[in-house]
Amino acid sequence: MVELWFGILTVMIVFFIVLDGWDFGAGALHYIVAGNQEERRALIAALGPLWSWHEVWLVGTGGVLFVAFPRVLATAFPAYYLALFLVLWTLILRGISLEFRGHIPHSMWRSFWDFVFAVSNTTLAVLFGTAFGNLIRGMPLAPGTPLSLPLFTDFGVRGKVGILDWYTLSAAVFAVVCLSAHGASYLSLKTESEIHRRSARAAKVLWAATAVLLAGVSLETFYVRPELFAGMAARPAAWVMLALTAGGLIAIFTGLHSGSELLTFRGGCALIAGLPGTAAASLFPVMLHSTLGPQYSITAFNGSSDVSSLRTAAYWWPIAFAFALTYFSFIGRHYAGRVKLSTDTQRPY
Amino acid sequence: MTDDALFWHRIHFAFTIVFHYLFPQLTMGVAWFLVGWKWLHLRTGDARYNNAARLWARMFGINFAVGVVTGIPMEFQFGTNWSEFSRYAGGVIGQTLAMEGMFAFLLESAFIGALVWGEKRLGPKSHFIAALGVAVGSWTSGYFILVTNAFMQYPSGHSFAADGSLRLESMSRFLLSPWALVQFCHNQAAALVTGSFAIASVGAFYVLRNAKSEQGRLFLKWGTAGGLLASVLVAFPTGDQQAKLVARHQPPALAAMEGRFDSGAMADITLIGQPDVQNRRLDNPIRVPGMLSFLAFGTFHKDVPGLGAFPENTWPTNIELLYYSFHVMAGLGTLFIALMGLATIQRIRGRLESSETLLWVLMLAFPFPFIANTAGWMTTELGRQPWLIYGLFRTSQGYSKAIGSGEALFTLIGFTGLYFLLGLLYLLLIGREIMHSADENQYAVLAMEKAAW
Ligand code: HDD
Ligand code: HEM
Ligand code: HEM
Repeated sequence: MVELWFGILTVMIVFFIVLDGWDFGAGALHYIVAGNQEERRALIAALGPLWSWHEVWLVGTGGVLFVAFPRVLATAFPAYYLALFLVLWTLILRGISLEFRGHIPHSMWRSFWDFVFAVSNTTLAVLFGTAFGNLIRGMPLAPGTPLSLPLFTDFGVRGKVGILDWYTLSAAVFAVVCLSAHGASYLSLKTESEIHRRSARAAKVLWAATAVLLAGVSLETFYVRPELFAGMAARPAAWVMLALTAGGLIAIFTGLHSGSELLTFRGGCALIAGLPGTAAASLFPVMLHSTLGPQYSITAFNGSSDVSSLRTAAYWWPIAFAFALTYFSFIGRHYAGRVKLSTDTQRPY
Repeated sequence: MTDDALFWHRIHFAFTIVFHYLFPQLTMGVAWFLVGWKWLHLRTGDARYNNAARLWARMFGINFAVGVVTGIPMEFQFGTNWSEFSRYAGGVIGQTLAMEGMFAFLLESAFIGALVWGEKRLGPKSHFIAALGVAVGSWTSGYFILVTNAFMQYPSGHSFAADGSLRLESMSRFLLSPWALVQFCHNQAAALVTGSFAIASVGAFYVLRNAKSEQGRLFLKWGTAGGLLASVLVAFPTGDQQAKLVARHQPPALAAMEGRFDSGAMADITLIGQPDVQNRRLDNPIRVPGMLSFLAFGTFHKDVPGLGAFPENTWPTNIELLYYSFHVMAGLGTLFIALMGLATIQRIRGRLESSETLLWVLMLAFPFPFIANTAGWMTTELGRQPWLIYGLFRTSQGYSKAIGSGEALFTLIGFTGLYFLLGLLYLLLIGREIMHSADENQYAVLAMEKAAW
């Protein structure tokens, strides 16, 4: 049961980061690929209809964490109190910049929201990258006083760590580049003319940079959490995830080489799903790793709810998941193809 | 530091939830009107209905966006500010919060984009389905979150795990607890009051500007009819049932809501008066004898205990505010029935569009359902004190011990600033939408505007 819920939680996070990841990435590229008002409208119209559906996977992740691993939630959330509120406030700004921009046809209004949109999405990519970095590196958990992390300490990755150090910062840089590449792939699929051309070019550069950074971050991870690689070698589930990651990388570059944007995009999704998947499968059951001593870590077993709660939730979750995919395919059918400003705006007339 | 921190955590939650709930109540209230109009348009092809749906769908988009962005912090505050509560109750409360995300929000948010952005892409049939999806999704999310709240008012379906925390014993007793069902009916009726008043208010505004406004007449008709129905349902049977549940399961809360310090049969209901907690009495009251016994238990002879009958550590922590909140809600509820009743009579007589005073009142009445809803929630939440989960877990046990008053206050100030801005922008955009569509030749205006984009 605990294994199942660990898997479900991973699936939820992966959905969130793959789906909303391309919104963050496209937003970060807002000024780079969209040169004028028309193009910026097109970029936003490519995200408009489904961004909130993407964001809800984060809400769902929170809910799943709450019901299945309340102790993990209750330890990690206060520990990252201010950082989490920064995420929440930035999400607020991102959401309203998308929805409010189109309502007043004035260039100053739009320029303002363009700025908020680009900055908030970039910030979100940084924040989620830092968050993943922190999850891998661990936090200074010890029995006794409740934990609250400082922004940074000595920038080292052992002992009394802070939120930022060289490892979590490199994770943030990696996230920005990788999600931007993902966003560029998405935009190259959904847009036309100039903006399409620029996105395709950005995708080439950014995916190459992602590959280089990935090699670097993997080396760092080997130093920070060597047991991740031990787990990877020993666990079949990790092999599957590793294969997904590697397949994603191959697909990305084959696609870029042969000019198949769809293949690149799918490869990007596989890569972005595969990385957290590999980490989760290799590190199970540790959820919150303690940098002060592995015996203080919170695992899926000592952090989970009572098994009767888990069992009940296991009945309804698959149903809800199947429903979610059904609506998505209904809406997705209507939104297949490239966006056109003549059909895809908030004004129906 | 500790008590101080508790205070700021409570204000933090109260402020963010009160602000959040301003938006969902309108979403849930307007959603079924939209479905109705889209349906009629599909059936009759009458363009008036589609125009009505378009205006409200655009306002809906703005409202929804603010509802979504303010809702996400709510979900995360359980972890950040109420971590001890989450640790204790996650196995139960987490169920409905996760179900809300998985069943309701994923449905709602899949269709909202299509409803607001996609009329042309979808075509009339699928666009109707989108409206339906949003309505069902928003009411489902209301249900799950109210089950969560109902559990905190009246725990049902749980048992205890080995470490003393809660676990879910019976999903059906949890999801279908009598408190949840009654609360859902009352709360949704109250949301329909908000929606109807908003629609009637826009209608009155349009008709006052231009007596021949077709949109205005349509909104007045639907708004007042819906408003009367919903206002009656809010009072009876749902409000009445709520009061009976409180009387049975939270007797100190009922006593405080009524400002009742002494016990006894033939209990009076207080219409007006100011509670004086220190001296344990109600100043200059106007009372109806026997009514409280009757309303709470269906008979005049039953004893309704006053606060004096309970130990002080089970009294709600803010009796005055609880008392006033309850009276504001119930008082406004009575006025709503009167106002919508009058408007309906005038409409049936064909006089509504020409009764200028009444139209002014209808136009300016839209804030009051928001006030009544907020007051109702304050009644519920203050009446629950000093418990976080009634009878099981005290509010003072639930907050995050790692987060001191300074941090809580800091993020509270952050939210205050951000929400102030959000509120201003919201009013600006909604006002603009209403003004734009006020002109009968709105489509010509919009076409010009579009050319200028
Ligand atoms: C338009 C809004 C509105 C109006 C006119 C009323 N209510 Fe209400 N009431 C609510 C909106 C509301 C609410 C905000 O929706 C609450 C808070 C929680 C809930 O489920 O509904 C609520 C809660 C609530 C409670 C529960 C308190 C608790 O749990 O401690 C009672 C006893 C009543 N109401 C009773 C009434 C009565 C007798 C009314 C007479 C007309 C009335 N309400 C009008
Ligand atoms: C339905 C879901 C809701 C849940 C799960 C919920 C839960 C909570 C929690 C955990 C607290 C803090 C602890 C406490 O003070 O007891 C709280 C306080 C409060 N809530 Fe709610 N709430 C809900 C809805 C609402 C709504 C919609 C409103 C108002 C519009 C509201 C108004 C308040 C107020 C005023 C307080 C402060 C009460 C006090 O601390 O004295 N709540 N609620
Ligand atoms: C503590 C209590 C609450 C939490 C944790 C919460 C959480 C949320 C979240 C995360 C969203 C955004 C969903 C999305 O992205 O689509 C949201 C929106 C919404 N919430 Fe709440 N909420 C609370 C209180 C309430 C209450 C009391 C109601 C009504 C009974 C309600 C009804 C809605 C509705 C209908 C929406 C849809 C968006 C809108 O129109 O505003 N919520 N809520």
